[in-house]
Amino acid sequence: MRLQLGYVPLTDAAVLIAAVERGFTAAEGLEVDLVAEPSWATLRDRLALGLLDGAHMLAPLALACHLGLSGPQARLIAPAALARNGNAVTLSLPLWQALDAASDAVPDVGRALARVAEARAAEGRPLTLATVHPFSSHTYQWRRLLALGGSSLAAVRLVVVPPPRTVEALERGLIDGFCVGAPWSSVAVEAGVGRIAAFGVAITPGCPEKVLALPAEMEDRTTPLLRALKRAARWCGDPAHREDLVALLGSPRHLGLDPALILRGLAGALRLAPGGPVVEAGDYLVLGERELTPDPAALGWLVDEMAAAGQIEAGAMPEAAGLYRPDLLAAA
Amino acid sequence: MPDRAAPSSAPPTSSPVAPSPGDALTIAVVDPSRARAAILEEGLRAVEGARVVVIPDTADLLDRLSALSPDVVVIHLESPSRDLLEQMFGVSRLVERPVAMFVDRSDTPMMQAAVDAGISAYIVDGLRAERIKPIIEIAILRFNAFARLQRELSEARSELADRKLIERAKGILMSAKGLTEDEAYKQLRRKAMNEKRKIVDIARAIVTAADLLG
Repeated sequence: MRLQLGYVPLTDAAVLIAAVERGFTAAEGLEVDLVAEPSWATLRDRLALGLLDGAHMLAPLALACHLGLSGPQARLIAPAALARNGNAVTLSLPLWQALDAASDAVPDVGRALARVAEARAAEGRPLTLATVHPFSSHTYQWRRLLALGGSSLAAVRLVVVPPPRTVEALERGLIDGFCVGAPWSSVAVEAGVGRIAAFGVAITPGCPEKVLALPAEMEDRTTPLLRALKRAARWCGDPAHREDLVALLGSPRHLGLDPALILRGLAGALRLAPGGPVVEAGDYLVLGERELTPDPAALGWLVDEMAAAGQIEAGAMPEAAGLYRPDLLAAA
Repeated sequence: MPDRAAPSSAPPTSSPVAPSPGDALTIAVVDPSRARAAILEEGLRAVEGARVVVIPDTADLLDRLSALSPDVVVIHLESPSRDLLEQMFGVSRLVERPVAMFVDRSDTPMMQAAVDAGISAYIVDGLRAERIKPIIEIAILRFNAFARLQRELSEARSELADRKLIERAKGILMSAKGLTEDEAYKQLRRKAMNEKRKIVDIARAIVTAADLLG
Protein backbone atom coordinates (compact mmCIF):
# COMPACT_ATOMS: atom_id res chain seq x y z
CA MET A 1 0.00 0.00 0.00
CA ARG A 2 1.29 3.43 -0.94
CA LEU A 3 0.45 6.34 1.39
CA GLN A 4 0.96 10.09 1.21
CA LEU A 5 1.28 11.36 4.78
CA GLY A 6 1.49 15.06 5.61
CA TYR A 7 3.16 16.74 8.55
CA VAL A 8 4.31 20.14 9.72
CA PRO A 9 8.01 20.11 10.61
CA LEU A 10 8.01 20.20 14.42
CA THR A 11 9.63 18.07 17.11
CA ASP A 12 6.32 16.40 17.90
CA ALA A 13 6.16 14.86 14.41
CA ALA A 14 9.02 12.62 15.65
CA VAL A 15 7.03 9.38 15.86
CA LEU A 16 5.66 9.72 12.33
CA ILE A 17 9.02 10.77 10.87
CA ALA A 18 10.86 7.94 12.65
CA ALA A 19 8.22 5.42 11.52
CA VAL A 20 9.07 6.20 7.92
CA GLU A 21 12.76 7.08 8.13
CA ARG A 22 13.81 4.22 10.40
CA GLY A 23 12.11 1.60 8.27
CA PHE A 24 9.12 0.69 10.45
CA THR A 25 6.56 1.44 7.75
CA ALA A 26 8.58 -0.37 5.07
CA ALA A 27 8.71 -3.42 7.35
CA GLU A 28 4.90 -3.43 7.31
CA GLY A 29 4.87 -3.38 3.52
CA LEU A 30 3.97 0.30 3.28
CA GLU A 31 5.43 2.72 0.78
CA VAL A 32 5.10 6.11 2.46
CA ASP A 33 5.75 9.55 1.00
CA LEU A 34 6.21 12.03 3.85
CA VAL A 35 5.05 15.45 2.72
CA ALA A 36 6.12 18.52 4.71
CA GLU A 37 3.24 21.00 4.54
CA PRO A 38 3.81 24.77 4.75
CA SER A 39 0.77 25.50 6.92
CA TRP A 40 -1.88 23.77 9.00
CA ALA A 41 -4.61 25.07 6.71
CA THR A 42 -2.97 23.53 3.66
CA LEU A 43 -2.41 20.24 5.45
CA ARG A 44 -6.06 20.20 6.53
CA ASP A 45 -7.41 21.00 3.06
CA ARG A 46 -5.27 18.39 1.36
CA LEU A 47 -6.34 15.78 3.91
CA ALA A 48 -10.02 16.74 3.74
CA LEU A 49 -10.04 16.66 -0.06
CA GLY A 50 -8.34 13.27 -0.33
CA LEU A 51 -4.95 14.49 -1.57
CA LEU A 52 -3.31 13.09 1.59
CA ASP A 53 -3.99 9.66 3.09
CA GLY A 54 -3.22 10.83 6.61
CA ALA A 55 -1.48 13.52 8.59
CA HIS A 56 0.22 14.66 11.77
CA MET A 57 -2.34 17.19 12.96
CA LEU A 58 -3.21 19.58 15.78
CA ALA A 59 -5.82 17.68 17.81
CA PRO A 60 -8.25 20.66 17.93
CA LEU A 61 -7.89 21.21 14.17
CA ALA A 62 -8.61 17.53 13.46
CA LEU A 63 -11.74 17.86 15.58
CA ALA A 64 -12.74 21.15 13.94
CA CYS A 65 -12.33 19.63 10.47
CA HIS A 66 -14.30 16.53 11.53
CA LEU A 67 -17.13 18.76 12.83
CA GLY A 68 -17.09 20.99 9.72
CA LEU A 69 -15.92 24.05 11.64
CA SER A 70 -12.72 24.59 9.67
CA GLY A 71 -12.11 24.15 5.95
CA PRO A 72 -13.82 21.57 3.76
CA GLN A 73 -15.70 19.22 6.05
CA ALA A 74 -14.42 15.63 6.18
CA ARG A 75 -15.15 12.72 8.46
CA LEU A 76 -11.84 11.86 10.09
CA ILE A 77 -10.57 9.26 12.53
CA ALA A 78 -7.67 9.68 14.93
CA PRO A 79 -6.47 6.20 15.90
CA ALA A 80 -3.22 7.43 17.47
CA ALA A 81 -2.00 10.35 19.55
CA LEU A 82 1.47 11.42 18.40
CA ALA A 83 2.40 13.73 21.29
CA ARG A 84 1.24 15.26 24.54
CA ASN A 85 2.28 18.78 25.66
CA GLY A 86 5.33 20.39 24.04
CA ASN A 87 4.31 24.05 23.77
CA ALA A 88 5.79 27.03 25.53
CA VAL A 89 4.82 30.67 25.89
CA THR A 90 7.75 32.87 24.97
CA LEU A 91 7.68 36.64 25.44
CA SER A 92 9.83 39.40 24.02
CA LEU A 93 12.51 40.49 26.46
CA PRO A 94 10.91 43.97 26.96
CA LEU A 95 7.52 42.43 27.74
CA TRP A 96 9.08 39.92 30.13
CA GLN A 97 10.73 42.82 31.97
CA ALA A 98 7.48 44.79 32.03
CA LEU A 99 5.73 41.79 33.60
CA ASP A 100 7.97 41.86 36.66
CA ALA A 101 6.29 38.66 37.85
CA ALA A 102 6.50 37.79 41.56
CA SER A 103 8.04 34.44 40.58
CA ASP A 104 8.52 32.12 37.60
CA ALA A 105 5.53 30.04 38.70
CA VAL A 106 2.71 30.03 36.15
CA PRO A 107 0.04 31.62 38.41
CA ASP A 108 2.36 34.57 39.05
CA VAL A 109 3.30 34.87 35.39
CA GLY A 110 -0.38 34.70 34.38
CA ARG A 111 -1.38 37.40 36.87
CA ALA A 112 1.43 39.67 35.72
CA LEU A 113 0.65 39.09 32.03
CA ALA A 114 -3.04 39.80 32.61
CA ARG A 115 -2.20 43.05 34.39
CA VAL A 116 0.00 44.26 31.51
CA ALA A 117 -2.53 43.05 28.90
CA GLU A 118 -5.38 44.98 30.55
CA ALA A 119 -3.24 48.10 30.97
CA ARG A 120 -2.14 48.01 27.35
CA ALA A 121 -5.73 47.43 26.17
CA ALA A 122 -6.86 50.45 28.20
CA GLU A 123 -4.15 52.54 26.52
CA GLY A 124 -5.51 51.49 23.15
CA ARG A 125 -2.40 49.56 22.15
CA PRO A 126 -3.17 45.95 23.05
CA LEU A 127 -0.50 43.29 23.25
CA THR A 128 -0.03 41.31 20.05
CA LEU A 129 0.24 37.63 20.87
CA ALA A 130 0.78 34.84 18.37
CA THR A 131 -0.71 31.38 18.13
CA VAL A 132 -0.21 28.80 15.36
CA HIS A 133 -3.82 28.33 14.25
CA PRO A 134 -7.19 29.40 15.66
CA PHE A 135 -8.00 25.73 16.40
CA SER A 136 -4.96 24.84 18.46
CA SER A 137 -4.06 24.09 22.07
CA HIS A 138 -1.81 27.16 21.75
CA THR A 139 -4.88 29.42 21.46
CA TYR A 140 -6.43 27.76 24.49
CA GLN A 141 -3.22 28.05 26.51
CA TRP A 142 -3.13 31.81 25.90
CA ARG A 143 -6.73 32.06 27.07
CA ARG A 144 -6.03 30.09 30.23
CA LEU A 145 -2.85 31.98 31.02
CA LEU A 146 -4.63 35.34 30.72
CA ALA A 147 -7.57 34.02 32.75
CA LEU A 148 -5.25 33.29 35.68
CA GLY A 149 -5.12 37.06 36.21
CA GLY A 150 -8.74 37.74 35.28
CA SER A 151 -8.02 38.86 31.71
CA SER A 152 -9.14 37.31 28.43
CA LEU A 153 -8.40 37.00 24.71
CA ALA A 154 -10.63 40.03 24.17
CA ALA A 155 -7.96 42.23 25.77
CA VAL A 156 -5.24 41.25 23.30
CA ARG A 157 -4.69 41.11 19.57
CA LEU A 158 -4.34 37.39 18.87
CA VAL A 159 -2.65 36.70 15.54
CA VAL A 160 -1.44 33.59 13.79
CA VAL A 161 2.23 33.31 12.91
CA PRO A 162 3.64 30.18 11.27
CA PRO A 163 6.16 28.54 13.65
CA PRO A 164 9.25 29.17 11.46
CA ARG A 165 8.41 32.89 11.40
CA THR A 166 7.83 33.34 15.14
CA VAL A 167 11.42 34.21 16.01
CA GLU A 168 11.69 36.83 13.28
CA ALA A 169 8.30 38.32 14.22
CA LEU A 170 9.40 38.62 17.85
CA GLU A 171 12.75 40.10 16.89
CA ARG A 172 11.14 42.73 14.64
CA GLY A 173 8.64 43.67 17.32
CA LEU A 174 5.65 42.59 15.20
CA ILE A 175 4.48 40.46 18.11
CA ASP A 176 5.00 40.67 21.88
CA GLY A 177 4.97 36.95 22.48
CA PHE A 178 4.08 33.60 21.03
CA CYS A 179 2.88 30.19 22.08
CA VAL A 180 4.41 27.54 19.84
CA GLY A 181 5.56 23.94 19.83
CA ALA A 182 9.13 22.73 20.18
CA PRO A 183 11.75 23.62 19.21
CA TRP A 184 10.78 27.21 18.33
CA SER A 185 10.88 28.64 21.87
CA SER A 186 14.40 27.30 22.27
CA VAL A 187 15.32 28.84 18.92
CA ALA A 188 14.09 32.25 20.16
CA VAL A 189 15.99 31.94 23.44
CA GLU A 190 19.15 30.89 21.61
CA ALA A 191 18.76 33.83 19.22
CA GLY A 192 18.64 36.09 22.27
CA VAL A 193 15.22 37.58 21.44
CA GLY A 194 12.82 35.80 23.81
CA ARG A 195 12.25 34.55 27.33
CA ILE A 196 10.25 31.39 27.96
CA ALA A 197 7.57 32.56 30.39
CA ALA A 198 5.57 29.37 30.81
CA PHE A 199 5.64 25.77 29.66
CA GLY A 200 2.42 24.58 28.08
CA VAL A 201 2.40 21.63 30.44
CA ALA A 202 2.23 24.01 33.41
CA ILE A 203 -0.84 25.74 31.96
CA THR A 204 -2.72 22.65 30.74
CA PRO A 205 -1.16 19.46 32.16
CA GLY A 206 -1.55 16.42 29.90
CA CYS A 207 -2.63 18.55 26.94
CA PRO A 208 -3.71 16.60 23.83
CA GLU A 209 -1.36 18.02 21.21
CA LYS A 210 -0.94 16.18 17.90
CA VAL A 211 -2.84 13.20 16.54
CA LEU A 212 -2.56 10.99 13.50
CA ALA A 213 -5.65 11.96 11.49
CA LEU A 214 -6.92 9.73 8.70
CA PRO A 215 -9.96 9.93 6.43
CA ALA A 216 -12.75 7.81 7.96
CA GLU A 217 -12.71 5.60 4.84
CA MET A 218 -9.26 4.35 5.91
CA GLU A 219 -10.84 2.63 8.94
CA ASP A 220 -10.37 -0.92 7.62
CA ARG A 221 -6.79 -0.38 6.46
CA THR A 222 -5.06 1.16 9.45
CA THR A 223 -3.35 -1.91 10.90
CA PRO A 224 0.05 -1.79 9.09
CA LEU A 225 0.46 1.94 9.72
CA LEU A 226 -0.53 1.66 13.39
CA ARG A 227 1.84 -1.26 13.92
CA ALA A 228 4.66 0.79 12.44
CA LEU A 229 3.74 3.74 14.67
CA LYS A 230 3.80 1.52 17.77
CA ARG A 231 7.30 0.38 16.96
CA ALA A 232 8.40 3.92 16.09
CA ALA A 233 6.91 5.30 19.32
CA ARG A 234 8.82 2.67 21.33
CA TRP A 235 11.98 3.56 19.42
CA CYS A 236 11.48 7.32 20.00
CA GLY A 237 10.71 6.80 23.69
CA ASP A 238 14.01 5.00 24.29
CA PRO A 239 16.61 7.55 25.49
CA ALA A 240 19.30 5.40 23.81
CA HIS A 241 17.98 6.58 20.43
CA ARG A 242 17.71 10.23 21.35
CA GLU A 243 20.89 11.32 19.65
CA ASP A 244 19.92 9.54 16.44
CA LEU A 245 16.41 11.01 16.67
CA VAL A 246 17.49 14.65 17.08
CA ALA A 247 19.94 14.26 14.19
CA LEU A 248 17.10 12.88 12.05
CA LEU A 249 14.70 15.69 13.01
CA GLY A 250 17.34 18.38 12.62
CA SER A 251 18.32 17.30 9.10
CA PRO A 252 17.50 19.74 6.28
CA ARG A 253 14.88 17.31 5.00
CA HIS A 254 12.77 17.89 8.12
CA LEU A 255 13.28 20.80 10.56
CA GLY A 256 16.64 21.98 9.27
CA LEU A 257 17.70 23.18 12.73
CA ASP A 258 20.53 22.61 15.18
CA PRO A 259 19.94 19.16 16.76
CA ALA A 260 21.11 20.55 20.12
CA LEU A 261 18.06 22.85 20.23
CA ILE A 262 15.73 19.96 19.39
CA LEU A 263 17.33 17.89 22.13
CA ARG A 264 16.33 20.46 24.79
CA GLY A 265 12.63 19.84 24.20
CA LEU A 266 12.92 16.07 23.92
CA ALA A 267 15.04 15.84 27.06
CA GLY A 268 12.81 18.26 28.97
CA ALA A 269 15.78 20.43 29.92
CA LEU A 270 15.22 23.95 28.61
CA ARG A 271 17.03 27.23 28.89
CA LEU A 272 14.43 29.88 29.79
CA ALA A 273 16.43 33.01 29.00
CA PRO A 274 19.39 33.86 26.81
CA GLY A 275 22.44 32.83 28.80
CA GLY A 276 20.24 31.74 31.69
CA PRO A 277 20.24 28.45 33.60
CA VAL A 278 18.69 25.23 32.30
CA VAL A 279 15.40 24.23 33.89
CA GLU A 280 14.13 20.66 34.13
CA ALA A 281 10.59 20.06 32.91
CA GLY A 282 10.04 16.32 32.83
CA ASP A 283 6.70 16.27 30.99
CA TYR A 284 7.48 19.24 28.76
CA LEU A 285 6.96 17.08 25.66
CA VAL A 286 5.88 13.48 25.98
CA LEU A 287 5.98 10.92 23.24
CA GLY A 288 6.39 7.18 23.30
CA GLU A 289 4.38 4.00 23.13
CA ARG A 290 2.29 4.74 26.20
CA GLU A 291 1.25 8.12 24.83
CA LEU A 292 0.06 6.65 21.55
CA THR A 293 -3.41 5.66 22.76
CA PRO A 294 -5.83 8.54 22.16
CA ASP A 295 -7.93 9.30 25.22
CA PRO A 296 -11.59 9.95 24.29
CA ALA A 297 -11.92 12.09 27.44
CA ALA A 298 -9.72 14.65 25.65
CA LEU A 299 -12.50 15.26 23.10
CA GLY A 300 -14.85 16.67 25.72
CA TRP A 301 -12.05 18.87 26.97
CA LEU A 302 -11.35 20.15 23.45
CA VAL A 303 -15.04 20.94 22.86
CA ASP A 304 -15.15 22.88 26.14
CA GLU A 305 -12.00 24.80 25.19
CA MET A 306 -13.43 25.69 21.78
CA ALA A 307 -16.53 27.03 23.48
CA ALA A 308 -14.51 28.95 26.08
CA ALA A 309 -12.48 30.56 23.28
CA GLY A 310 -15.70 31.64 21.58
CA GLN A 311 -15.21 29.37 18.57
CA ILE A 312 -18.45 27.41 19.04
CA GLU A 313 -21.59 27.69 21.15
CA ALA A 314 -21.29 25.92 24.47
CA GLY A 315 -23.01 22.54 24.59
CA ALA A 316 -22.50 18.93 23.75
CA MET A 317 -21.06 17.91 20.39
CA PRO A 318 -22.16 14.30 19.97
CA GLU A 319 -20.43 13.95 16.59
CA ALA A 320 -17.09 14.61 18.29
CA ALA A 321 -17.16 11.17 19.92
CA GLY A 322 -16.40 9.33 16.67
CA LEU A 323 -13.03 10.99 16.11
CA TYR A 324 -10.78 9.17 18.59
CA ARG A 325 -10.42 5.45 17.84
CA PRO A 326 -8.25 3.78 20.49
CA ASP A 327 -9.93 0.50 19.47
CA LEU A 328 -8.11 0.52 16.13
CA LEU A 329 -4.76 1.00 17.84
CA ALA A 330 -5.50 -1.76 20.35
CA ALA A 331 -6.44 -4.16 17.53
CA ALA A 332 -3.32 -3.45 15.48
CA MET B 1 9.37 22.99 -3.27
CA PRO B 2 9.87 24.87 -6.52
CA ASP B 3 10.06 28.58 -6.93
CA ARG B 4 10.12 29.77 -3.37
CA ALA B 5 11.00 33.31 -4.28
CA ALA B 6 12.36 35.69 -1.70
CA PRO B 7 9.67 37.84 -0.10
CA SER B 8 9.09 40.90 -2.19
CA SER B 9 9.11 44.39 -0.89
CA ALA B 10 7.63 45.86 -4.05
CA PRO B 11 4.61 48.07 -3.52
CA PRO B 12 1.26 46.52 -4.41
CA THR B 13 0.19 47.22 -7.95
CA SER B 14 -3.42 47.81 -8.79
CA SER B 15 -5.41 47.51 -11.95
CA PRO B 16 -5.79 50.75 -13.86
CA VAL B 17 -9.43 49.91 -14.64
CA ALA B 18 -11.70 51.76 -12.25
CA PRO B 19 -14.51 49.47 -11.14
CA SER B 20 -18.06 50.71 -11.12
CA PRO B 21 -18.80 51.44 -7.48
CA GLY B 22 -21.91 49.31 -7.08
CA ASP B 23 -20.37 46.21 -8.54
CA ALA B 24 -16.73 46.61 -7.54
CA LEU B 25 -14.90 43.53 -6.43
CA THR B 26 -11.48 43.71 -4.84
CA ILE B 27 -9.33 40.62 -5.28
CA ALA B 28 -6.10 40.28 -3.33
CA VAL B 29 -3.45 37.89 -4.61
CA VAL B 30 -0.89 36.54 -2.11
CA ASP B 31 1.87 34.31 -3.42
CA PRO B 32 5.46 33.65 -2.31
CA SER B 33 6.36 33.59 -6.02
CA ARG B 34 6.26 37.03 -7.61
CA ALA B 35 6.29 35.60 -11.12
CA ARG B 36 3.31 33.37 -10.45
CA ALA B 37 1.46 36.21 -8.73
CA ALA B 38 2.00 38.41 -11.80
CA ILE B 39 0.64 35.73 -14.11
CA LEU B 40 -2.43 35.30 -11.95
CA GLU B 41 -2.96 39.03 -11.64
CA GLU B 42 -2.92 39.42 -15.38
CA GLY B 43 -5.50 36.66 -15.77
CA LEU B 44 -7.80 38.03 -13.08
CA ARG B 45 -7.96 41.44 -14.73
CA ALA B 46 -10.33 39.82 -17.18
CA VAL B 47 -12.91 39.47 -14.41
CA GLU B 48 -15.52 42.13 -14.90
CA GLY B 49 -15.51 44.94 -12.36
CA ALA B 50 -12.57 43.48 -10.50
CA ARG B 51 -9.68 45.37 -8.97
CA VAL B 52 -6.72 43.05 -8.51
CA VAL B 53 -4.04 43.82 -5.95
CA VAL B 54 -0.93 41.72 -5.45
CA ILE B 55 0.23 41.75 -1.84
CA PRO B 56 3.73 40.51 -1.04
CA ASP B 57 3.84 37.55 1.30
CA THR B 58 5.82 39.28 4.04
CA ALA B 59 5.50 39.67 7.78
CA ASP B 60 3.25 42.75 7.50
CA LEU B 61 0.73 40.92 5.30
CA LEU B 62 -2.01 41.15 7.92
CA ASP B 63 -1.87 44.95 8.17
CA ARG B 64 -1.84 45.36 4.42
CA LEU B 65 -4.82 43.05 3.99
CA SER B 66 -6.74 44.77 6.76
CA ALA B 67 -6.18 48.10 5.05
CA LEU B 68 -7.31 46.77 1.67
CA SER B 69 -10.31 44.84 3.02
CA PRO B 70 -10.68 42.67 -0.12
CA ASP B 71 -13.75 40.70 -1.12
CA VAL B 72 -11.69 37.75 -2.25
CA VAL B 73 -8.20 36.65 -1.29
CA VAL B 74 -6.51 34.15 -3.57
CA ILE B 75 -3.48 32.67 -1.85
CA HIS B 76 -1.06 29.99 -2.94
CA LEU B 77 -1.11 26.86 -0.80
CA GLU B 78 2.66 27.05 -0.53
CA SER B 79 2.41 30.23 1.52
CA PRO B 80 2.86 29.74 5.25
CA SER B 81 0.65 32.81 5.68
CA ARG B 82 -2.46 30.76 5.03
CA ASP B 83 -2.90 30.05 8.72
CA LEU B 84 -2.71 33.76 9.35
CA LEU B 85 -5.63 34.34 6.98
CA GLU B 86 -7.68 31.73 8.80
CA GLN B 87 -7.34 33.75 11.96
CA MET B 88 -8.04 37.01 10.20
CA PHE B 89 -11.16 35.76 8.48
CA GLY B 90 -12.36 33.34 11.08
CA VAL B 91 -12.07 34.33 14.66
CA SER B 92 -10.53 37.74 14.81
CA ARG B 93 -12.26 41.06 14.99
CA LEU B 94 -9.84 42.63 12.56
CA VAL B 95 -12.19 42.56 9.63
CA GLU B 96 -15.76 43.52 10.15
CA ARG B 97 -17.24 41.43 7.39
CA PRO B 98 -17.66 37.73 8.02
CA VAL B 99 -15.82 35.66 5.50
CA ALA B 100 -16.63 32.22 4.25
CA MET B 101 -13.79 29.96 3.33
CA PHE B 102 -13.05 28.68 -0.08
CA VAL B 103 -15.64 28.14 -2.77
CA ASP B 104 -19.07 26.72 -2.26
CA ARG B 105 -18.35 23.89 0.15
CA SER B 106 -20.67 21.54 -1.72
CA ASP B 107 -18.58 21.88 -4.86
CA THR B 108 -15.99 19.23 -3.99
CA PRO B 109 -14.55 18.69 -7.52
CA MET B 110 -13.91 22.42 -7.80
CA MET B 111 -12.19 22.47 -4.41
CA GLN B 112 -10.09 19.45 -5.34
CA ALA B 113 -9.03 21.03 -8.63
CA ALA B 114 -8.14 24.25 -6.82
CA VAL B 115 -6.10 22.57 -4.09
CA ASP B 116 -4.41 20.34 -6.65
CA ALA B 117 -3.37 23.44 -8.59
CA GLY B 118 -2.11 25.06 -5.38
CA ILE B 119 -4.88 27.56 -4.77
CA SER B 120 -6.86 28.56 -1.80
CA ALA B 121 -9.36 31.37 -1.78
CA TYR B 122 -11.04 33.24 1.03
CA ILE B 123 -14.26 34.91 0.11
CA VAL B 124 -16.54 37.41 1.77
CA ASP B 125 -19.71 35.72 2.88
CA GLY B 126 -22.68 36.49 0.72
CA LEU B 127 -20.74 36.94 -2.50
CA ARG B 128 -22.70 35.10 -5.16
CA ALA B 129 -21.28 31.80 -6.37
CA GLU B 130 -21.46 32.84 -10.02
CA ARG B 131 -19.13 35.75 -9.27
CA ILE B 132 -16.63 33.54 -7.49
CA LYS B 133 -16.52 30.63 -9.91
CA PRO B 134 -14.80 32.45 -12.79
CA ILE B 135 -12.17 33.77 -10.39
CA ILE B 136 -11.32 30.30 -9.16
CA GLU B 137 -11.41 28.89 -12.67
CA ILE B 138 -8.99 31.52 -13.93
CA ALA B 139 -6.72 30.90 -10.96
CA ILE B 140 -6.70 27.14 -11.59
CA LEU B 141 -5.90 27.61 -15.29
CA ARG B 142 -3.18 30.14 -14.64
CA PHE B 143 -1.50 28.20 -11.84
CA ASN B 144 -1.55 24.97 -13.83
CA ALA B 145 -0.11 26.78 -16.84
CA PHE B 146 2.61 28.25 -14.63
CA ALA B 147 3.49 24.81 -13.23
CA ARG B 148 3.64 23.39 -16.77
CA LEU B 149 5.90 26.24 -17.90
CA GLN B 150 8.23 25.64 -15.00
CA ARG B 151 8.39 21.93 -15.73
CA GLU B 152 9.18 22.62 -19.38
CA LEU B 153 11.78 25.17 -18.43
CA SER B 154 13.57 22.79 -16.09
CA GLU B 155 13.42 20.04 -18.73
CA ALA B 156 14.88 22.40 -21.30
CA ARG B 157 17.62 23.39 -18.86
CA SER B 158 18.63 19.81 -18.18
CA GLU B 159 18.53 19.01 -21.91
CA LEU B 160 20.89 21.89 -22.57
CA ALA B 161 23.22 20.71 -19.80
CA ASP B 162 23.19 17.19 -21.29
CA ARG B 163 24.09 18.52 -24.71
CA LYS B 164 27.00 20.52 -23.31
CA LEU B 165 28.31 17.43 -21.54
CA ILE B 166 28.17 15.38 -24.75
CA GLU B 167 29.99 18.16 -26.62
CA ARG B 168 32.77 18.14 -24.03
CA ALA B 169 33.10 14.34 -24.13
CA LYS B 170 33.29 14.43 -27.92
CA GLY B 171 36.06 17.02 -27.74
CA ILE B 172 38.02 14.91 -25.27
CA LEU B 173 37.74 11.81 -27.50
CA MET B 174 38.70 13.81 -30.60
CA SER B 175 41.91 15.19 -29.11
CA ALA B 176 42.84 12.01 -27.20
CA LYS B 177 42.29 9.59 -30.08
CA GLY B 178 42.59 11.88 -33.10
CA LEU B 179 38.98 11.26 -34.19
CA THR B 180 36.65 13.38 -36.25
CA GLU B 181 33.59 14.77 -34.51
CA ASP B 182 31.38 12.25 -36.25
CA GLU B 183 33.59 9.31 -35.22
CA ALA B 184 33.72 10.53 -31.64
CA TYR B 185 29.93 10.70 -31.47
CA LYS B 186 29.60 7.21 -32.99
CA GLN B 187 31.96 5.78 -30.36
CA LEU B 188 29.91 7.38 -27.60
CA ARG B 189 26.71 6.00 -29.05
CA ARG B 190 28.13 2.50 -29.51
CA LYS B 191 29.41 2.40 -25.93
CA ALA B 192 26.02 3.57 -24.63
CA MET B 193 24.19 0.90 -26.65
CA ASN B 194 26.55 -1.87 -25.53
CA GLU B 195 26.21 -0.93 -21.89
CA LYS B 196 22.48 -0.14 -22.14
CA ARG B 197 23.09 3.33 -20.75
CA LYS B 198 22.29 6.81 -21.97
CA ILE B 199 24.82 8.66 -24.12
CA VAL B 200 24.88 11.45 -21.55
CA ASP B 201 25.90 8.98 -18.82
CA ILE B 202 28.85 7.76 -20.90
CA ALA B 203 29.75 11.38 -21.67
CA ARG B 204 29.65 12.24 -17.97
CA ALA B 205 31.98 9.33 -17.16
CA ILE B 206 34.45 10.50 -19.81
CA VAL B 207 34.37 14.10 -18.62
CA THR B 208 34.81 13.03 -14.99
CA ALA B 209 37.70 10.74 -15.87
CA ALA B 210 39.35 13.46 -17.96
CA ASP B 211 38.95 15.95 -15.11
CA LEU B 212 40.63 13.53 -12.71
CA LEU B 213 43.45 12.56 -15.08
CA GLY B 214 43.98 15.98 -16.62
